[in-house]
Amino acid sequence: MNTLTTIITLLIFPGGLCLLLLGLAYEWVDRKLVARLQNRVGPRWFQPLADTIKLLAKEEVVPENVQARLFTVLPVIALAGALTSALYVPLFGLKPAYSFEGDLIVAIYLLSLLTLCTGLAGANTYNRFSLIGATRTLTQLFSYEAPFLLALFGPAIVAGSWKISEIAGYAESHWLVLTQPVGFIVALIGLMGKLELPPFDAPEAETEIVAGALTEYSGRGLALFHLGKGVELVVGLTLVAAFYLGGVANPLAFFVKTLVILLGLAGLQALFTRLRIEQTVGLWWRYGALLVLVQFLALIVWEGWVA
Amino acid sequence: MQSKIDKFTIPIGPQHPALKEPGHFEFSVDGEIVTDASVRLGYVHRGIEKGTEGRNWVQSLYLLERICGICSHVHATAYCLGVEKLAGVEVPPRAQAIRVLVAELERVHSHMLWLGVAAHEAGFDTLFMYSWRDRETVMNLLEGITGNRVNYSANVLGGVKCDISAEQDEAIRQGVDFLEERTRHYLEVVTSDMMFLRRTRGVATTPKAQARELGLIGPTGRASGISHDVRVDAPYAAYDIYPVKLITATAGDLEARFIVRINELFESYRVIRQILDTLPEGELTVRMPRRIKEGETVSRVEAPRGELFYFIKSNGTDTPERIKVRTPTLPNMASVLVLAIGHQLADIPMILTGIDPCFSCNDRMVVVKDSGGDNRAMTWEALRQYGIEYYR
Repeated sequence: MNTLTTIITLLIFPGGLCLLLLGLAYEWVDRKLVARLQNRVGPRWFQPLADTIKLLAKEEVVPENVQARLFTVLPVIALAGALTSALYVPLFGLKPAYSFEGDLIVAIYLLSLLTLCTGLAGANTYNRFSLIGATRTLTQLFSYEAPFLLALFGPAIVAGSWKISEIAGYAESHWLVLTQPVGFIVALIGLMGKLELPPFDAPEAETEIVAGALTEYSGRGLALFHLGKGVELVVGLTLVAAFYLGGVANPLAFFVKTLVILLGLAGLQALFTRLRIEQTVGLWWRYGALLVLVQFLALIVWEGWVA
Repeated sequence: MQSKIDKFTIPIGPQHPALKEPGHFEFSVDGEIVTDASVRLGYVHRGIEKGTEGRNWVQSLYLLERICGICSHVHATAYCLGVEKLAGVEVPPRAQAIRVLVAELERVHSHMLWLGVAAHEAGFDTLFMYSWRDRETVMNLLEGITGNRVNYSANVLGGVKCDISAEQDEAIRQGVDFLEERTRHYLEVVTSDMMFLRRTRGVATTPKAQARELGLIGPTGRASGISHDVRVDAPYAAYDIYPVKLITATAGDLEARFIVRINELFESYRVIRQILDTLPEGELTVRMPRRIKEGETVSRVEAPRGELFYFIKSNGTDTPERIKVRTPTLPNMASVLVLAIGHQLADIPMILTGIDPCFSCNDRMVVVKDSGGDNRAMTWEALRQYGIEYYR
C-alpha cells in the first residue's frame, strides 16, 4: 500500500504528470498574459500541450560531431532535476512529498541543474550559435544564482530552519514581503533570470543567436527541455509565494498567489527591452547582489540581537 | 573536427531570424566583441534593370514599382518624373500633389515599420507590436486611396490614377490625427525608456566626418548631422509648393536615428494636412507619347531610406535603352561593417537595422571569378539533371 502511494506521489500527483500539466498550463498563462499586454491575441489554451505532443512525436536529429549519448541524456537529466526539486516544495498547497533538514539548498540546486544541462547541451555541439548561447547561459547562471540564493535564504534565517516546509509554515503567519521587500524583488527577478524570460533572454536572443544553446535540439530533446522549463516555472513561483506572500496553506491560496506573481512577471516581461549579457551581469552584481547582501547581513544581525 | 580555431565566426544569414530578407554577414568575435565583419549580398538579385529593356515604357513602370515592397511608390515616382522630363511633358499640379501625398503616407508606413523592426531587434517586442498595430491605420489609408496595400500603383506616366474624394480627405485627416498622437507617445518612449536607451544611446555612434566618409544618406546620415534631403535640396514633384523641413540630429548614435525618423513622421503629417488643405483642382493625367524622345536623364527622389537615384536613357523607341537604379541601402550598407567592429554581438542586429536595410532593392549581380581558371559551365539541362540526382 505504501509503495503504491509513493508511486502515485512520484508519477501522478502531486509530482510527475500533474506537475507537467501544471507547468504547461502556467506556460500558457504566461504567454497569453504577455500577448494580451502586447495587444496580441496569444496562443489557445492547449497550445503548449499541442507543441509538446508534436515535438515528442518528431524525429530527434542528432547532429554530427557531438557526443551522441550526452546529447540524448542531457534533456532527461534536466527534466529529472526539475521534477525532483518539485518533491520538496509545497505544490498545490499540499505538504511537500519529501522533506528533510536542508532540503531548501537541495531544491535550489536541482533547479539549477536545468540551466547547467542547457549550457552543457550548447557546449556539446559544434553549432556556433549554440556555443555562444551556452557561454551566455552559464554567464547568466553565475550572475543571478548567488543573489537568488541569498534572497531565498532571508526567510530561512528568520524562520530559523533550512527546511522548506518549516519556512513555509513560518511564512503563513508572517508576510515576509513586507519585512524583506528587497529579498522579494530579487527573488522575483532572479526567477526571471533563471527562466531566461525577457529582459533576461540574452542566452536565447533569437535576433542574434537563433535559439541559443538549444539551437541543435529538435523533437524529444527540445520537448523535454521545454517541459523542464515549465516545471521550473511552477516550482520557482511556489517557492517565492510560499516564502514571501504568506505561504501556500491550501490549494486556493496556492493558485491565487502563484498566478498573481505570474501576472507580475508577465508585466515585467512586456515592459522591458532585452539586456545585453554584460548588462545582465552588471545589474546583478552591482545592484542585486549588493542589496540582497546588505539585507541578509541586516537579518543576521537582527536575529542575533533578538535571540 | 577542427584542430585549431583561429577566428570564431558567427554567420548571420542568408537565413537568420534577425534578417527579414536574405543577406550573408560574417562577424568574427572575440568573446562577445566583434573584431571583423564582412558581407555578401546578391541572394535576391532579380534582374529588373535588364528586364525593363525588354518591356515598353508603361510596362517598365509596373516592373520598377516592384523593386521594393515597402517604398514601391517612390520607385514609380522617380521613374515617372524621369520619363516625363525626357518626353517634355508637364504633369498637372493636382497629380503632382497627390504623388507627394501618397509618398508621405508611404514614408509614414515605412518609418512605423522600421520602428517596430528595430524595437524587435532590441528585444522590445511590446513596442514592435504596438507600432505595427498603429501602422495598420496608414496601410488602410493607402488602400483606401489606391486600392492596394503594398504596390500602390498610384502613378501612371503623365499623372496619377487615383483622386482624393471628400470622404477620403476626411478619413486621411482622422487617420493622421490618430497617428500623430501615437507618434508623440513613441517619441517619448524611445527618448525616456531607460532600458531601451541602454541599447540605443551611444551605440553605433557615427560622427559627422565619419558619416561623410562612409557616404551615409537618408535618415541614417541626417542622424549624424548630414544636412541632405532631396526633398529640400532639389524639390521634385510638388515639394516646391509644399516644402519640407530638414530634420537632423547631431549625436549620430542609434537613439538619434530613432529621433530623426520619428520627427520626420511629424513633418510628414504636417505636409499631408497642408496638401489636403490646398489640393489644386484640375486634371489628373496628361497624354504621354508612346515613344520617348532620344536622350538621357537622371531622376532623384527621397525614399524613406534616403536618396533614390534613377538613370534613364531612351533611344527614341517605345522601350527604354537603359535604366539604372541605385537604392539608398547600398551606400549605407558599408557603415554596418565599419561600425560593427568593437561592438557587442548583441548590438549587431540593432546596428544592421539602424540603417533600415532593404536587401532585395539593392542586390546586384555578383560575378564569381574562379582563380584556378576551371570554370565549370553547365547547360540548363545538365543543371536540372544534377539537381534531380542530388536530391534522389
